[in-house]
Amino acid sequence: MNQDNWMEQIAELCDEEESLAPSCLKSKLYSRLIETQQLEGPLMSLKETQANGRGLCVFEKLIEILPAEKNMQSFQYCQVCHARVAGERIENAPIYWSNCPYCEFQPR
Amino acid sequence: MDADLELAKAVLQRDRKASAEFVQLYSDPVYRYVRFRLQPRVEAVDDLVQEVFLTAWKSLGRYEGGAPLKQWILGIARHKVQDHYRQLLKSVPFPEDAEELADSSDGLEIQLGTAQAQARISAILAQLPENYRTVLLWRYWEKKSAEEIGAEIGRTPKAVERLLARARQQFKQAWQGKEEIK
Repeated sequence: MNQDNWMEQIAELCDEEESLAPSCLKSKLYSRLIETQQLEGPLMSLKETQANGRGLCVFEKLIEILPAEKNMQSFQYCQVCHARVAGERIENAPIYWSNCPYCEFQPR
Repeated sequence: MDADLELAKAVLQRDRKASAEFVQLYSDPVYRYVRFRLQPRVEAVDDLVQEVFLTAWKSLGRYEGGAPLKQWILGIARHKVQDHYRQLLKSVPFPEDAEELADSSDGLEIQLGTAQAQARISAILAQLPENYRTVLLWRYWEKKSAEEIGAEIGRTPKAVERLLARARQQFKQAWQGKEEIK
């Protein structure tokens, strides 16, 4: 067997291991994705998001039931939430709100 | 497949929860793929994964189903990894001499269990000089020919073959435990 074939066998034996992306990385990816989306237009309103069958966190629910203007509904409240700060900085952050992306990124 | 298209559509409509689902579903496979291909340079992994997701967002309007969204985003990751390899190999010197190296792997048994072999292969790759590691990963893990690699970096296939021969030689010596890699 020549070395080319031998290396092909080696490559077959070894590929990426099962591993999860760090929760801090997921949190930063999400924050950056939303920031980029906001540069191109307003986010979908909380009412529409909920109508699409996706749950809101306790803070978003509060905004959603207020008689708020549409631009209030499109604001990304995570920007000012402690869950985002903790999620971006701490692996397995002690945050437990339901329907919060930063909590859902935690490995548990 | 319909679920993938629906998710892509919701992300394009800037649905924040769909975007979170998009990150949650695809960050693990993209991270795994990039981490292995960039080893041991872990400091570059996060930036490259982020680039993959931002490129995916910009290109998502062109996703038409047909292939699972996971394969589509891994395709973007593959391009980004190859951009990284291209930049790296463009900036390193190539061996110019025509010294012939032994091309036999006789006696190089691959007898380890898969987990042991994986650990050993990763360890050897991590210790190789960066140009050797990169060309091996590009050739054998990304399955690109010497011609294709040469075309990407403006080198002749022969020059790439020479680099590959030296990289294989050093890998082989490390596998046999004959050489401590510097």
